[in-house]
Amino acid sequence: MNNEAKSGNAFVNALRKSNMTAIGLVLVAMIVIASVTSPYFLDIYNLQSLARDLAFIGMIGVAQSLLLLIGELDLSVGKIASLCGILSGIMMVQWGWNSWLSLFIALICGLLFGAINGLIITRLRLNSMVATIGMQGVYGGINLVLTKGKAITGIPENIYFLGKGALGPVPMPFIFCIIVLVLILFLVKRTKTGRYIYAIGNSREAAKILGIRVDRIRVLIYSLVGFISALAGILYVARLGSSQSAIGENWPMNSIASSVIGGVSLNGGIGNPAGALIGAAIIGIIQNMIVLYGVNVYWQSAVSGFVVVIAISFSSISEIVREKRARKIKVG
Amino acid sequence: MKVLEASGITKVFPGVTALDSVDVSFEPGQIHAIIGENGAGKSTLIKCLTGVYTPEQGSVRIDGEDALKNRELFDKVAYVPQEIDLFGYMSVAENLFLPYEKSGFKGLVNQKELQKAAIPLLEKFRIPVKPDALVKDISVSSQQLLQIARATVHEEYEVLMLDEPTTSLTTNDTQILFEIIKHIKEENKAIIFISHKLEEIFALSDVITVFRNGKKVAYADIHDVDVPWVIKQMTGRELDQNQTFLSEKVSDSVLMEVKNLTGEAFTDVSFELKKGEILGFSGLVGAGRSELMQGIFGYLPVYAGSVTIDGKEWKLGDTSFSVSNGFIYLPEERKKQGILPVLSVRENISMATLDSLKSGLSISRKGEEQLAQEVIETYDVKTPDTDKQIQFLSGGNQQKVIIGRAMCCNPKVLVFDEPTKGIDVGTKTEIYKLMKQLAEEKNVGIILISSEMDEVQKCANRIIAMYNGRKVGEFNAPAEKQDILSAIIGVSK
Repeated sequence: MNNEAKSGNAFVNALRKSNMTAIGLVLVAMIVIASVTSPYFLDIYNLQSLARDLAFIGMIGVAQSLLLLIGELDLSVGKIASLCGILSGIMMVQWGWNSWLSLFIALICGLLFGAINGLIITRLRLNSMVATIGMQGVYGGINLVLTKGKAITGIPENIYFLGKGALGPVPMPFIFCIIVLVLILFLVKRTKTGRYIYAIGNSREAAKILGIRVDRIRVLIYSLVGFISALAGILYVARLGSSQSAIGENWPMNSIASSVIGGVSLNGGIGNPAGALIGAAIIGIIQNMIVLYGVNVYWQSAVSGFVVVIAISFSSISEIVREKRARKIKVG
Repeated sequence: MKVLEASGITKVFPGVTALDSVDVSFEPGQIHAIIGENGAGKSTLIKCLTGVYTPEQGSVRIDGEDALKNRELFDKVAYVPQEIDLFGYMSVAENLFLPYEKSGFKGLVNQKELQKAAIPLLEKFRIPVKPDALVKDISVSSQQLLQIARATVHEEYEVLMLDEPTTSLTTNDTQILFEIIKHIKEENKAIIFISHKLEEIFALSDVITVFRNGKKVAYADIHDVDVPWVIKQMTGRELDQNQTFLSEKVSDSVLMEVKNLTGEAFTDVSFELKKGEILGFSGLVGAGRSELMQGIFGYLPVYAGSVTIDGKEWKLGDTSFSVSNGFIYLPEERKKQGILPVLSVRENISMATLDSLKSGLSISRKGEEQLAQEVIETYDVKTPDTDKQIQFLSGGNQQKVIIGRAMCCNPKVLVFDEPTKGIDVGTKTEIYKLMKQLAEEKNVGIILISSEMDEVQKCANRIIAMYNGRKVGEFNAPAEKQDILSAIIGVSK
């Protein structure tokens, strides 16, 4: 009895402390508003397509949040995704390789591209933003050389279920997204490497003085991000049934936005990768609602951008309100 | 006539009363020293007096007017923070006069005009730099003086508040600073001098206010009191100022041997360290002491020379190797290089020994908590719980956490780089005791880098003097202060 009360309190305390609580409430509120104002929102088909959509940004956002935690970011995630999708397409369609082998090799390529990003940034001491802007040009360029801008069609149908299928009511990409999240949460919250990530984000100098091999961990994270980008890329290929170079166009920005909405600080050291999934869900619902409300096509981008800004402001607004309230209590 | 007067101010933070109905006032033409242990409420007082915090109770009056109602009055209080807070990539003149409107430059800014106006100020503060030099290129001492000069540029200041202004000054520059402060005093400004260095307080100030646990505990004319009185007021107990902390169990066997080590900021340095010995390194700011140790530690590159520890050839350039093999460096820049500010006390403690806390792949939360509790008890860290973010602990407690964490790695050599910088007298003594204890009981070889002559003399069995990157002298305890001093300023015997 007593114990129960205690754990309840601990849970409430943890909620109160977490910077994800506010944004979690926003997500709940948005779901409520969406389901009240639009009769189609809670429709199972709509929910499924919503989950399928947000899985991609969610997956990349969770990966991106790892980089934000060490105070860096990767703008080449979209291009890595599309390049790996194209590579898998070439292997499967043009070379006639076994689908599973092709997908596996494509994933390894993603890992390598990420590692290249990481090595360039750590060895040459480059700023991650500028370096990955450059690298996304490189990956995008290779992509164009390989495809001349044309899509690769005729992807073997045996991989379709990875993108189009569902396990019970849950779309496959969303299941992958959850698996990625769970693994990364384990990495970040339970393992040594996870602690080191937070240490590096807090102070790179202090981490080095503690004997942490800072650069090795940075390269590891870039590789992981590359791998997850490739995963998202090939799932998208399976979803479309063709490899296209346009895959992942807005993933870099949306993944960063989801992380920040979810309370991951751009300065490093603060936040939880799970927040990125909440952030991705919020962005997904915004886009879904815009469609459900039938907003004029030309206005869609402006409206969704505006709502994203509001969503990002929520965690800082809740901070401001908390400070004001604390001041009032003390004065009164 | 009081120019700045705080009466009955109380400031409460969650769980602590940082200031408890404090009355304090400052008169023009007077140097008023404020002293207290870490966490005594000095910083909170400063923030209330400069308008950063609004106290829950009480009033702050400037020139007799209520400053909490008319906030512009706070402009009359010029505050010089402890840390250097200048724009490195802007010129000396620009740094002096920013923001331009407040220092009388209206409209477009003419660089030549700025530089011309800067010259008399640089002369007044005896800063030996050109007005167009970039601040990042001038010496730390000059930066410190520049920061003070900058505070006096803005029109109409009447109170000058100096927070630990001498921490990065050489002895010589400290003297210059004191003359300048006395000069400013003659201009009939009120000066508030916050320092942990009792010597300086007695050399400079007219009156002294002592804080303890958020309360003002004493106020006196400096001529009526002495050092033991101040310490007693601060700590609430008597401390023996003449106590020494030399290790009494120095073994004969050599623990570390450094041969002809050369790097960017140090040249051809050789020395030995014995087990259980406390070896002091004396020198001026910039003598290359920290860089030398960081070189051995692997944080900075070494160009030539070799290091042997416990008979083993030491791998240079890899901090990870150093830590796992028992050479630990405790940095001077505690806030930047020592603590992981937004992580908890527990996570800060366990960070260096996660390998031993693993069960399978994941970290054992229970083991981690136990380790944290152990360190907190052994090293007497004052924290409400292990989940507290370390940035909210006082400097002394942060230092204890860092020492405790280092001890978990079973070090053979422990380098303390300015371990008591910004730490009060009471906690200082605790840290000295701790060093002595580690040397004697755990047989650790300790290297103590300190700019405080007193500290090195009290703690070190042997003292090495460095000047301009070179070793210039070696003294066994007890050493004459004069000898060490002349060595570190480059006067050879």
